[in-house]
Amino acid sequence: MRPPLWRRRQDEELDEELQSHLRLAIADRIERGESPEAAASSARREFGNELLVKDTVRDMWGWTPIEQLWHDLGHARRALWKAPAFTLAATLTLGLGIGVNAAMFSIVRAVVLRPLPFPNPDRLVQIDEVDQRGGGDRRGAVSWPNFRDWQQRAASFESLAAHHVSNFTITGIGPAQHVPGAVVSASFFETLGVNPAIGRGFAPGEERAGSDVAVVSDAFWRDQLGARADAVGADLTIDGRPFVVVGVMPAGFVFPIASPAPLVWVTSAQDARVESAGDTPITEERGAHYIQVVGRLRENVSVTEAQAEMTSIAAVLARDYPNDNLNRSAAVLPQLEVVVGEARRPLLFLLAAVACVLLIACVNLANLMTARGIARQPELALRVALGGSRLRMIRLLMAEAAALAVLAATVGLALAWSSKRLLVQLAPADVRGLDQVTIDGPVLAYTTAAAAICALVVGVIPAFRATRGDLRSNLGTSRTAAGTRSQSRWLSGLIVVETAAGVVLLVAATLVIGGLDRLSHTNPGFDVSQVTTLRVSLPDSRYPFREQIAFYDRLLPDLARLPGVSGAALVGPLPLSGSRFGISFDLPGDRAVETAKRPSAGFAFVSPGYFRAMRIPLIQGREFSASDNDGGPRVVVVNESFARRFFPNADPIGQRIKPGLSTTEPETPWREIVGVAADVKQVSLREEPAPMYFVPYAQGMITTPHLVIRSAGAAETVPESARRVIAAADPELAVYDVRTLEARLADTFATQRFATWLLTLFAGLGLLLTAIGVYGVLAYSVSQRVHEFGVRAALGASPGQIASAAMTTAARMVVAGLIAGIVIATALGQVMQGALEFVDRPGLETFVTVAAILLVVAGVSTLAPIRRAVRTDPMQTLRSN
Amino acid sequence: MAATRKNRIELLQGTLDMLILEQLRWTPSHGYGIGQAIRAHSGDLLRVDAGSLYPALHRLERQGLVKAQWEISDRKQRTRVYRLTPGGRKHLAGERSRWEQLQAAIGGVLNRARTDEA
Repeated sequence: MRPPLWRRRQDEELDEELQSHLRLAIADRIERGESPEAAASSARREFGNELLVKDTVRDMWGWTPIEQLWHDLGHARRALWKAPAFTLAATLTLGLGIGVNAAMFSIVRAVVLRPLPFPNPDRLVQIDEVDQRGGGDRRGAVSWPNFRDWQQRAASFESLAAHHVSNFTITGIGPAQHVPGAVVSASFFETLGVNPAIGRGFAPGEERAGSDVAVVSDAFWRDQLGARADAVGADLTIDGRPFVVVGVMPAGFVFPIASPAPLVWVTSAQDARVESAGDTPITEERGAHYIQVVGRLRENVSVTEAQAEMTSIAAVLARDYPNDNLNRSAAVLPQLEVVVGEARRPLLFLLAAVACVLLIACVNLANLMTARGIARQPELALRVALGGSRLRMIRLLMAEAAALAVLAATVGLALAWSSKRLLVQLAPADVRGLDQVTIDGPVLAYTTAAAAICALVVGVIPAFRATRGDLRSNLGTSRTAAGTRSQSRWLSGLIVVETAAGVVLLVAATLVIGGLDRLSHTNPGFDVSQVTTLRVSLPDSRYPFREQIAFYDRLLPDLARLPGVSGAALVGPLPLSGSRFGISFDLPGDRAVETAKRPSAGFAFVSPGYFRAMRIPLIQGREFSASDNDGGPRVVVVNESFARRFFPNADPIGQRIKPGLSTTEPETPWREIVGVAADVKQVSLREEPAPMYFVPYAQGMITTPHLVIRSAGAAETVPESARRVIAAADPELAVYDVRTLEARLADTFATQRFATWLLTLFAGLGLLLTAIGVYGVLAYSVSQRVHEFGVRAALGASPGQIASAAMTTAARMVVAGLIAGIVIATALGQVMQGALEFVDRPGLETFVTVAAILLVVAGVSTLAPIRRAVRTDPMQTLRSN
Repeated sequence: MAATRKNRIELLQGTLDMLILEQLRWTPSHGYGIGQAIRAHSGDLLRVDAGSLYPALHRLERQGLVKAQWEISDRKQRTRVYRLTPGGRKHLAGERSRWEQLQAAIGGVLNRARTDEA
């Protein structure tokens, strides 16, 4: 190896200095009258041996520790270069291990560890209302009046803000478009600590109905407002009403963190509007829980302290407003925890899984290094004989491990870099931060640390082992002192460790594959194939309630008449779209109970033909018809769970319930049950069946519905033709959220699919590395025992006996590893289930599968070494020694 | 040449360092200049060969007693010029007083021997 750069520079300077000495000496001599030739030769003679001078000076410089290390690395490089197969195997093994760790860590960092992009993000908390009816705490949304009371009373917070995502139709800039946005309290931007880049945020007075002001995102400003400097003050038509843009947020500002990200923010004035004077706006409805609250803790106030204060405030509000707030409390959670949410535990679990892969890789490498250390004992013996100390030998071997770790870290980073995109694509789309996965400083540091630990693990112990005992006794022998009891115990121990780690990974993979399989074969209760779903935004300004009903009354038959369409209906909320409504109701008879203890069940409004279009079986009674309209009798369809829970001993048809729901009538009406439908999954495939009831949309449309369009043939053309029909009805309407039911279904288990993919990949890697390890150790042990096998064969042992002799070692190691792995996996079962809720506890079946896979793979990896053992030629062996 | 070589005096360990520092006390100089100056001031008796001079210079530089800098000499040559550092100046003073003590001590011993002979 060439000397390090700084050393080379020093050498050059020394050379120049000596040359200048010579030149000066020659010039002096010429001045004194010597001829140039004579001057040159005598000056050189006087100077002496130039190389010797340089050497003396260099010796004087001495070696710094860094140069020492450089020297050792140079030695390691030469040693590794001389063993290319070993180097390649070691680098790839370790590189793979480090690579998956770097990639996984970069994801964990972006999603879980990176703080929220706001000033003092650790002081931001989310405050939920907690529904304590019926035992247990259910965290949920907040109502505006409760939020305002919190704002006034809570001293733990510098500021509280409310927000809920909404969708706006923007007209006047090109065709009508649907834009994701949020309705927020005036304190919103101040609470988050981010000011608009241009203009201002909202003023407190702008929460009053009629103050139509908006703040837009940087993206919206660039794409829709042409990045104009005078955008502040510009008019913007939102949902058919004129708004004034008062501010533009800086690029990168996203809150609430939702997918798609909000582009427009308006104040709660949006919610405070009423259709006719005298109506109560929803911002005054204490029972309307639909907003989220974010708070900024005062300095030095902990989450626990804030929680204590909120609990007591909620208790006061429950006493003051028992009708709405009885049995409702409040919960404070760090905002980051809420945002990271579900993704946290699976990701941390996956990080642990890749650590397992790295452990296996390290063990493999330790194997390789040990075998190599033994094979090199004659060389080391020679070095010791020539005066090398043991410490020096260990240092050389360690340097080899360090050089390997550096190579492997490079390979690993390259691997992480190239697999990053793939990993991000596999990941569920709505996980925050995935767009910001990078290989940056902390990831590099993590990788370096991983590589350094690997180098220590795989370097130290083999180095100590290789230099143990009296090396000089090995001098002059070509056969090594390998195959000793301690040596083979050590190697078998390594195999047991890596087999156990491999088994744990395999168990995890088997469980997630089983869990995912069960999930994807779960019947949601309706037929998802060939159903397109979409929403249309009807601006309230032009479509009051009755107009909306009339619009859909006309639209649904038009959609159903489209060629290739077999049915069209509407529903709100759509199953598997992420939301669930719950509305409490009264049961008939003398069961009159206080408001807070009224039973509650899931709720949806649907159009006639909904159950048919979704292919949800009707168990009893009938579906809604066109005559179940605003003028008709009030009716309801319940699901099986509802019927079973609330009418266990009676025919539900003809029974009456009174949901706390009214649209056009002055008082909430009693409704007659006209049908019983089969249970369906509303939010997740893993949920248990729950009571639910349906009302005709003409009697209960309380939010923007989803249209569901079932096609007889391919669903690809449906969105286009549906858009045409809707545009023909009203060209100003925006169509949005267009997705097939199949895609929505797949989204509900995207996280589980991601975890399954990765765990399977990691388990595959782990298994492959384990197989390589078993192969390596067995091949080595066979090569050490060739002599023994030769003798046995000469004494008449059959090939079968020799094979079983060779095999026994391997079989013992693998079985021991298998048992250890199963014990560990059983112990970890609970952790696994906690992190990945969709998996079962590992059982006998899992272990049988894992054992079968492992034994087959291990068996295959022993084939080649055993073949070699059996084919040993006794004559040749006996002659060679 | 052969005659002068015979007359050369082997320098005591450490003495060379002192001589170099002494030369630099008067003026900064390059290696060749230092060697020439020692030779001239010793009446051609002390000749410092390059194999002793340069290791000594580099050692003094490491010890921080002299400082080196590339400069263009009066002969338009790029040379490495050494100068005394404050630390070097102090060190030289110490060495000089030790040298003088040693000289006095050796002188005393030798003079007594001469007196005894007489």
